[in-house]
Amino acid sequence: MITKFSLGIDLGTSNSAASIEEFESGRSSVVEVTQITGPNQIGEKPTLPSALYIPHPEEFPGDALRLPWSNESEQAIVGQFARNHGALVPDRLVTSAKSWLSNFHTDPKKPVLPWNSDIAETKLSAFDCTRLYLDHLREGFLQAERAEGREWDLASGQVVITVPASFDEIARTLTTEAAEAAGFGNVALLEEPQAAFYAWTAQAGSDWRKQVSAGDMVLVCDVGGGTADFSLIAITGKDGALELERISVGEHLLLGGDNMDLALAYTLQAQIEESGKSLDDWQFLALIHAASRAKVQLFNDASLNDVPIAVPSRGSGLFAQTVSTKLDRTTLEAVVLDGFFPITPVTELPEETTATGLQEFGLPYASDPVVSKHLARFLTRSQMNVKASEALTALVRPEALEGDCLRPTAVLFNGGVFNAEPIRKRVLELLTSWSGGQPTRELAGFQPDLAVAKGAAIYGRNRATGQGLRIKAGTARSYYIGLQSTRPAVPGFKPPIKALCVVPQGMEEGSEFVIDGQEFGLSIGRPAKFRFFASEVRSGDTPGQIIANAEKDLDETSQLEVTLPAIEGFPEGQAVPVRINPLVNEVGQLELWMKHTGSDHRWKVEFQVRTE
Amino acid sequence: MKTSLIICALLVAALNGALMVPALHEHAMPLGAATTALAVLTLILAIACGGKPASVTAPAQAVTPPPPAPASNQAEAEVVAFFGLLQEKGRFVDFLMEDITPFDDSQVAAASRVVHQGCKAVLKEHFQITPVADTPEGSPITVPAGYAADEYRLLGKISGEAPFTGTLVHKGWKTEIVKLPRILKADKDRLPAIAPAEVELK
Repeated sequence: MITKFSLGIDLGTSNSAASIEEFESGRSSVVEVTQITGPNQIGEKPTLPSALYIPHPEEFPGDALRLPWSNESEQAIVGQFARNHGALVPDRLVTSAKSWLSNFHTDPKKPVLPWNSDIAETKLSAFDCTRLYLDHLREGFLQAERAEGREWDLASGQVVITVPASFDEIARTLTTEAAEAAGFGNVALLEEPQAAFYAWTAQAGSDWRKQVSAGDMVLVCDVGGGTADFSLIAITGKDGALELERISVGEHLLLGGDNMDLALAYTLQAQIEESGKSLDDWQFLALIHAASRAKVQLFNDASLNDVPIAVPSRGSGLFAQTVSTKLDRTTLEAVVLDGFFPITPVTELPEETTATGLQEFGLPYASDPVVSKHLARFLTRSQMNVKASEALTALVRPEALEGDCLRPTAVLFNGGVFNAEPIRKRVLELLTSWSGGQPTRELAGFQPDLAVAKGAAIYGRNRATGQGLRIKAGTARSYYIGLQSTRPAVPGFKPPIKALCVVPQGMEEGSEFVIDGQEFGLSIGRPAKFRFFASEVRSGDTPGQIIANAEKDLDETSQLEVTLPAIEGFPEGQAVPVRINPLVNEVGQLELWMKHTGSDHRWKVEFQVRTE
Repeated sequence: MKTSLIICALLVAALNGALMVPALHEHAMPLGAATTALAVLTLILAIACGGKPASVTAPAQAVTPPPPAPASNQAEAEVVAFFGLLQEKGRFVDFLMEDITPFDDSQVAAASRVVHQGCKAVLKEHFQITPVADTPEGSPITVPAGYAADEYRLLGKISGEAPFTGTLVHKGWKTEIVKLPRILKADKDRLPAIAPAEVELK
């Protein structure tokens, strides 16, 4: 079937959005997603809050929560009303499902959400929630297009879903599976910072080639509502044309604008309590919203010194019980600029979480709120990664590798937090201070809203038509299989686990190979389990290479399991010699296969969640 | 429809009065805000009187399944829903229904910030409001021949033929877009509540 359009989906931690590029007409527009805005009420919005609410069966009688594409009330609703109403009924609200999807301390397919709630209704897994968000976006897209007289067959479109650069292969696989379960066919995944970069090149037009030149290294700095995500893109010149390659990605960080609003609200609450008044939970929620708006107002208008804040009471009496205070600029700068983006030395890294014995299981929120330190850690690790491979080292200017961290020459901002110019300025100052006074510039054309969805649609178009820009980016990490040590057991001493590199960093779409030299004997009909490791800083490792101490040098991500079914010629119980056969398929998904050494038979290895 | 007209007129008068309190002048544009409200209410009335669905530019209902036939009081239900929005985000009904007399200006000012911020957000989200005339108030303006009667109103001594030249007294307000939430099913016998009574369970 001829591809006629591309649909870019930004599956965000707090908000999702979709954007379409129609090839023939060149039309490019953001989908206005129909969603429930109240009982018996629907409306269209350019974003779909990634919030899910499980209503009590008698809470909204009749079919008060029915979507236009469905025949009955929803069992779980998604979008604006879910988020607004759920804030007051937290037991029934699921947010940040995406972070649960990449949190392998709990099984993303186990129904545990809403977390820590004791509702009687069936709970959902992070995977279910993701599927429901995607299903809503798919229906919303078809509905919005239908309303304008266009009927699409999804098979004639290229669907691109964005994921954090920090998502590893397991979280990526889960996202693809959820998309399939939600009725999308083959989807391609794209890292969010790359999507932001595509959106920037489209917005800057031909001007983007003037803003960067060969030898530049662009830091894509994306701080959204709930997460921060960093990537580095190296720009090189070949035969007069610019080429782009993503050379490093950051770790998954649960730290964003929401933390800043919360910090401001706590400060304001203290101010209010000093004046002898107190706030209930509902008023505190209102205070967070008010603080967020005041923050935006102060950051956008340098002439203001303070912004008055009024928090109404919950009852209908508005005049006697409204509590008021002010957010002044000094407080704002102390809390947001100096609290989250202080000028710290590059050697100051985030404090490691000291695991206490009774740590509550939940989302692994960043324990250190200082974004500057996380950025320092990212640039330090990026330097380690680039230095590990000659190919990557050749992509950057030698002076970029001097000092304690990699030194980007330009920054592309993305995410709502950077709407505030003072924060952008502060990050540039910070980077300049780390590169020995060499100024770091900002790429002009920051577009705060929906850049990721737009960029995904543009990438989808380039991908489907084979024209336009492509950022070279293979697998962001290298992957390893844990090998049991054959040393004799010694009491009280645990031998280190060795690991075999099976997938190198940067392995590209549509490539595969068989690792020679290392053979495994697998018994027919019996599951074989392997420990699976990854690293984002070992660009130099090659397939077949052995790492001496996996637990020290690598991050364990999941478990692999493969069962060889009985087939003709291989009786049950017989050990079959196999070699590892990794491949990255056409849509960029990593697959591991076990290939029989003597024939063409091969068996697929499944990723398993590592539960503790 | 006559009742809604009266209610709206009353609301506008009340809002005008409330926003004229001197303590409020520092940030807001009281006249502007009240007139905006007036413009919005006029719009709602126009829509309600016309009996059309309130969603002028919003996409139509899906083809499958077919939408339920609009109930007889669909239009009224949509007006109520809009008040519901103003109440939810800006405590609009709370503000107007309470007796304002016993409170001092500082209390009224604090409450009006809640109303101003919330209602403005509702207007910004669901309409695209711009002045009709761009020239500064008090400066000369020419009203061209064939102008729309809802956009310009001539006052004072009217004679001769268009174009008319005069002084701009009020810049007027208009909206390019109306994007209101749609009511799926209005009850035949009763109107939906503007705001539900809230009951907390422990």
